[in-house]
Amino acid sequence: MGLILNLTNNLGEQVVRLTMSKLRMNVKATPIIGAALGALILSASAVGLGHAGDLPEGFAKGELAPAPPAEMIEAGKRVYFTKCVWCHGVDGAGDGPGADRLWPRPRNFNQGTFKIRHTASGELPLFNYNEKTPDSGKNDLLDTVTHGLPGSAMPPWEGILTEEQRLQVLSFVTTQLVKDRKFTDKQSETQTILQLGTIKPAEPTEESIKKGAQLIVDKKCIECHGVEGRGDGNAFNLKDDWGFSIQPADWHKCWNFRGSRQDPYNVRNIFRTFSTGVNGTPMPSFADSTSVEDRWSIANFVNSLCERDAEGKPLGIDPLTDKPKINFVVPSAPVEGEISNDPENEMWKKQGRRYVAMGGQITHKPRNFVNRIDDIWVKSLYNEKNVVYLIQWDDRTKSVAEGKLPWAPTQVNVENFGVKEQAPKTGEEGSIAAAQNNYAVYNDGIAFQFPIKWQEIPAPFKPRYLWGDAKFNADILKWEADGSLRSFKGTGWDQDFEERDDFEEKVKLLKSEWKNGQWTVMISRPLKGDKDDYDEYTRFDIGKYIPMVFFAWDGHNGDAGRKMAVSAFYYTILQPPIPQEVYIYPAIIAVGVVFLEGWMLTRRANKKKGKVL
Amino acid sequence: MKALMSVGALIGVLGLLMLIGMIFGVIPSNTVRLVEGYMPMQVLSELAVFVAGFTGLSYLANSMGIAFPRFWQGVLFWAFIQTYLKFRIYPPIPFSVRAMYGTVSFVAVFMWVSANEEDWKKFRQPILNVLDANTGFHKALRTMYLILLPLLIGGFSFLTMKPSVDEPIELRTVHPAPPASTKVHGKTYTLQTSQNPYRVNLEGKYDQAYSNKLIVEQGMGRLMAPNANPWDDKAEGYLKYVREGGEIFFQNCHFCHGDNLNGRGLHAFAFNPIPANFTDPGTIAQLQETFIFWRVSKGGIGLPNEGFPWASVMPPWEQHLTTDEIWKVILFEYWHTGYYPRTWD
Repeated sequence: MGLILNLTNNLGEQVVRLTMSKLRMNVKATPIIGAALGALILSASAVGLGHAGDLPEGFAKGELAPAPPAEMIEAGKRVYFTKCVWCHGVDGAGDGPGADRLWPRPRNFNQGTFKIRHTASGELPLFNYNEKTPDSGKNDLLDTVTHGLPGSAMPPWEGILTEEQRLQVLSFVTTQLVKDRKFTDKQSETQTILQLGTIKPAEPTEESIKKGAQLIVDKKCIECHGVEGRGDGNAFNLKDDWGFSIQPADWHKCWNFRGSRQDPYNVRNIFRTFSTGVNGTPMPSFADSTSVEDRWSIANFVNSLCERDAEGKPLGIDPLTDKPKINFVVPSAPVEGEISNDPENEMWKKQGRRYVAMGGQITHKPRNFVNRIDDIWVKSLYNEKNVVYLIQWDDRTKSVAEGKLPWAPTQVNVENFGVKEQAPKTGEEGSIAAAQNNYAVYNDGIAFQFPIKWQEIPAPFKPRYLWGDAKFNADILKWEADGSLRSFKGTGWDQDFEERDDFEEKVKLLKSEWKNGQWTVMISRPLKGDKDDYDEYTRFDIGKYIPMVFFAWDGHNGDAGRKMAVSAFYYTILQPPIPQEVYIYPAIIAVGVVFLEGWMLTRRANKKKGKVL
Repeated sequence: MKALMSVGALIGVLGLLMLIGMIFGVIPSNTVRLVEGYMPMQVLSELAVFVAGFTGLSYLANSMGIAFPRFWQGVLFWAFIQTYLKFRIYPPIPFSVRAMYGTVSFVAVFMWVSANEEDWKKFRQPILNVLDANTGFHKALRTMYLILLPLLIGGFSFLTMKPSVDEPIELRTVHPAPPASTKVHGKTYTLQTSQNPYRVNLEGKYDQAYSNKLIVEQGMGRLMAPNANPWDDKAEGYLKYVREGGEIFFQNCHFCHGDNLNGRGLHAFAFNPIPANFTDPGTIAQLQETFIFWRVSKGGIGLPNEGFPWASVMPPWEQHLTTDEIWKVILFEYWHTGYYPRTWD
């Protein structure tokens, strides 16, 4: 009885302390949200106290780790001021020189709020200066520094800092920069640890995945993460503890999961995040309300949504970038007759898709430091008249500008209309993170360019990736979410487009649809202009590599003009139907080899006979 | 001798097991990490270790009376080099380059097995056996070759003739020859004579020896020298400029060149050519500060054609930064990587 009372007391203290710290830091940001959160936590604490004593399934009580020795802290300071201070700031408040142009902002260490943990919701993460092996499940912060946080600017430090240096800098951060809490204070801190090492994962059977699909509806996961899990359920109203906009994870891009630990298709990472919640964000822990078995079902289902190849296998991940491996060729396959405008049609399903990586346009003003579209998927088919591109990409927000845009569709210099790049140093209030969801809304858009007269450009010359140049012009097709599909000629990054009305009659928008956080746009264009003339338009010749660049705009990110996402050079190629010679010649060669063998063996046999005789 | 060879054999077996483990994903592929910038030396020494290992193995087998035929030694060693090149090195080497290495190593193996008459006889004996010998085994082998060879050659030529959509290979010059001078913000800089105005000692004089003492230390981790913290309130002159350059770097450049200046920034994965890795000894460590000044100011679009100006997303930084800011960023890049800029003499 005494023991239970004691536990209850401890838990009570913990909840009160948590409430205090949350209130304190939220009052700093926005008093109203702070008060609301406080009330929420108070009501939650009542429920929590009712449960006192029994831990959520899969968790066990742990001991606080010992304090790191002073010399490690001192050594860590040197690491911190060489590598970390530039984003996390002198006081660890997440306000270094780089912070204002980043979203998510660098972590503010002061509150001791860390996202990726094995510990129960609200608790400090595991950190032990003595636990030197990454991925042991016993040292969350070491894992974070080792593997980085994909989808944010935090890189993996493995291979850059030694394990010793990583532990040193963490010793410094946890003792000197975490100010509101203390990792070694037994009075205020507890460790309730998810026993991930000993829990056996449930096999991702069809049954388990089906159950997970139902559970994400029952547990209301889809309210934020969206019906198809593309993170579009509540893209506008979610804020983190510091008052900045935050977006629910897109389950289709597991390589961007912050907690993916450079092992994105590993279901354990999802199980851990779901069990412990993400501190400082609206993502709660589901440990209290969900059995371990159900949690595995949900994790299996979420994992099954991550993009895979045609055979259902995980995509190859490039270890240098931790993103899917890129193939720079977008093949177009021949079909007979009409090309279907239904992506579910057999002819489209048969054709392989290509992952096209998108980065922010950071070359010319206005630069786009935060691009919310970081990849698109492209398929292509062609028939005797047209080539069709099917482009699909995840965009949490469908954006269509209200009313007419103040600039003409051909105008590319739109800085005077308020499309500006983020200033370098603004403080939190003016930062790019604070600007999220506060931009003027323009049209979502997608565009691609080919060289005009590429037949006459000697390889490897190309019109510049950013809308061509004066010497080599670009043939640009641009779709916008207002339903327009326009054909332009590009002559340079700062030169207004030339519109080509006569060609616009020939291009066709076969489909454009935004559904559950995904755009599907299908664009058809003729293989050539009139009379084989290719002075104006790109003429497609079968079997040739034609350079291609993609551009994407997210209207809710304030994207317009050059503020956009852009790809590298890709190549599109109309795959020729396989000619008959390809089957005939190898057969002839094989027969030839048989004759050659026969000749050689006979010759040797004769020679030997001659010797014997 | 025997003990030495046994050690060699042990190394050989361990190395082979490790390579096989990595290929099949049993052992994590980063167990023995290829360190950036040292990769060529590392690959060469690894191969040398393997050769030593194989020598030991073959010696040991010989002395135990289970000699391994010279023919198979040659064939397997060549196959081993191919496997090593294909699976060990990342990013993967294109097939055409591997074919080149394959030819070179084939010639090397051929020279080895034909070094003297006796060896050459030993080597070609199994081949002649397949052609002539009248034992049951060799007859079966002969029949197998008779059927397999046409099939293999036919199949291979089918695969090469089938139209494929491989990525075309284009070779780009990473550090093209610089111009004699460059004009930035209205001022002309002669590359051979210009100096970084912020690489100064406490008296304000250009002093590379002074700044060299304050840069980040070389070696794993590359940490700042003790008592040379640019973030120290009392930091003056060079160190203060380093901090200012770092601030500009982390407001502008890290998006591509990365928080550790290794070319792995937030947007880097999408771009081709990939952003330069300043920690690689082949980039800024090989170049003069004024070369960097020209490259930074004029960006990708200012490159000569062999640098593929149409594909590079490197901004012409004169559009975004003042010349002072550009010099400070360069100062920071050398400080953070711990490299000395090359001088003209």
